Amino acid sequence: MSTTTVTAPALEKGQSPARRALRRFLRHKLAVAGLVVVLAFILIAILAPWIAPYDPIATSWSRIRKPPSELHWFGTDENGRDVLSRLIWGARASLMAGVISVMGAVAIGVPIGLLAGLAGGWVDATISRIADAMLSVPFLILAIALAAFLGPALENAMIAIAITASPIFVRLSRGMALDAKSTDWVEAARSLGNPPWRTAFVHVLPNIIPPLLVQSTLAIAEAIIAEASLSFLGLGQQPPAPSWGSMLNSAQRFLDSAPWLAIAPGAAIFLVVLAFNLVGDGLRDALDPRADRR
Amino acid sequence: MSGAGGKIGVTAPMLELRDVARAFPVRDALGRSKGAVRAVDGVSLSVPRGSVLAIVGESGCGKSTLGRLALRLIEPDSGSILFEGEDLRSLSAAALRARRRDMQLIFQDPFASLDPRMTVEQAVAEPLRLHGIVPRAKERDRVAELLSRVGLRPELARRWPHEFSGGQRQRIAIARALASGPKLIVGDEPVSALDVSVQAQVINLLQDLIRELGLTFVLISHDLGVVRHIADRVAVMYLGRIVEEGPAAEVFGNPKHPYTRALLAAVPGQGRGAAALLEGDVPSPINPPSGCRFRTRCPHAEAICAEQVPPLADHGHRAACHLQHQLPPAIARHERDAGGERLKRLQAFFSDQRTGE
Repeated sequence: MSTTTVTAPALEKGQSPARRALRRFLRHKLAVAGLVVVLAFILIAILAPWIAPYDPIATSWSRIRKPPSELHWFGTDENGRDVLSRLIWGARASLMAGVISVMGAVAIGVPIGLLAGLAGGWVDATISRIADAMLSVPFLILAIALAAFLGPALENAMIAIAITASPIFVRLSRGMALDAKSTDWVEAARSLGNPPWRTAFVHVLPNIIPPLLVQSTLAIAEAIIAEASLSFLGLGQQPPAPSWGSMLNSAQRFLDSAPWLAIAPGAAIFLVVLAFNLVGDGLRDALDPRADRR
Repeated sequence: MSGAGGKIGVTAPMLELRDVARAFPVRDALGRSKGAVRAVDGVSLSVPRGSVLAIVGESGCGKSTLGRLALRLIEPDSGSILFEGEDLRSLSAAALRARRRDMQLIFQDPFASLDPRMTVEQAVAEPLRLHGIVPRAKERDRVAELLSRVGLRPELARRWPHEFSGGQRQRIAIARALASGPKLIVGDEPVSALDVSVQAQVINLLQDLIRELGLTFVLISHDLGVVRHIADRVAVMYLGRIVEEGPAAEVFGNPKHPYTRALLAAVPGQGRGAAALLEGDVPSPINPPSGCRFRTRCPHAEAICAEQVPPLADHGHRAACHLQHQLPPAIARHERDAGGERLKRLQAFFSDQRTGE
């Protein structure tokens, strides 16, 4: 060999950017606590059929609006159903609505945003104006309008939330793609002979995942509130199937006589949303590109 | 590697630019057009097979734009780019992508030119995969081969760019540029972001590669010391135009254009008496001076320089200057090589070192 050999530390496997981010995330106490709460709720949602003590939709005339007791930890509702069981089953509706609708929003928004950012010109102008128009309408109002248009059902509420949340992802990924477009490594990708779609998905997309991940986590929190709101208005999960939002709706008539009906789902929403936000903040710190240089 | 060019490919120069121009529109805050920066304005150049052409000039003179135009990474406004006799501008997007296999670019900043989310192996393998050069099963071996060719241990293939120093990253970028077996490589200031000692090593590497692989190389640089060591021919650019071009020894030994003389005079140890150092800044390329663009800073300028654009000959050692035959004699001969001494010593040091291994 006719060139000098460059030596580097002996470790063979390199440390991926993801691994380093994970290490930083784990140092973030509150974020880890948030993650534990999120995982606990996910576990509860998955295991609902086995851990719920009662049938969530079985009514009983003899146990109407009973306060919390040993038999019913969170009391019973106006139809004699066990609040704890409904809460556990309701976690399914909330988390599904949160996670799936945000996944939908990412699937709609990110490719459109990448297209806008990388193509530029009138494509970008058109997409950006539409996204701006959608963002100028308050999130919940648009979701309500769409859900009302689609008809009351949990699936429709999720579609409505996904569409409403997508402009944020359009705008975010467009901005990141614009940033990436001016970098040498994107020009290098082009000079190597990458077709535009490959540059977008093999080079640009992996590099914008960190901000997308942070935004997704925060969007899930928002989507959970949106689902609860839609269900509260009767546009989401339909009775008698349980959902935290519809539980709050029926609880409002008994705030004086049976406050536990409102406290339990309210606290659950509060906890999950807080937890997702903490995770999002932790991710933001862990994935901060400037942190790599420390 | 030869013969792929077809009928005209054999005799045509590897790369030929004919009257290439590109302007970038400038807009004010309200988006109204305020004219255009004429980054490259009517450049004709020819790079014979297996030769090294250096393009030198101050920053902002359009040399990087020219390098990208030569690879059609930027679209020219006019002119033609002939690669092995074939006009790159006539190719469809897909055909151009396929052609990129034969022409590669090495970037100035090795911290920016590698995708931060790709391992070294993925980065170097990418051209192999894009152009279907080796079967997937052989990819790993080929990458290892390329890495050791540029002086990196193949065991480092699974690492990420952030784990390497600037010099190592530039070697990775070079390995990536070599992967597809290109005929032409454009190096856009390939060593100017590196430490001086590392510069010498990377220059050694490039020189070895050019010689052993018979590469045609376009070196864009402002460092005349580097240029002197690698280039066969030198083109000097000023405000988007070539002002002087010719064999390296002649351009350095007997510079015809006052701008070239001033550039050479600015090299430390080059003998300042030979030409005055330039004063002032490069004029705005939005509104360049009439006639000879250098006249506003030229100590010899006369009336004709403002009126007529000085022509540039087609062949040989050519200069775009009305007064090139009336100027005082150029730099004294014995001082000619002084500027490259330090680099030479560094290169020699690293050459000695590698024979010891």
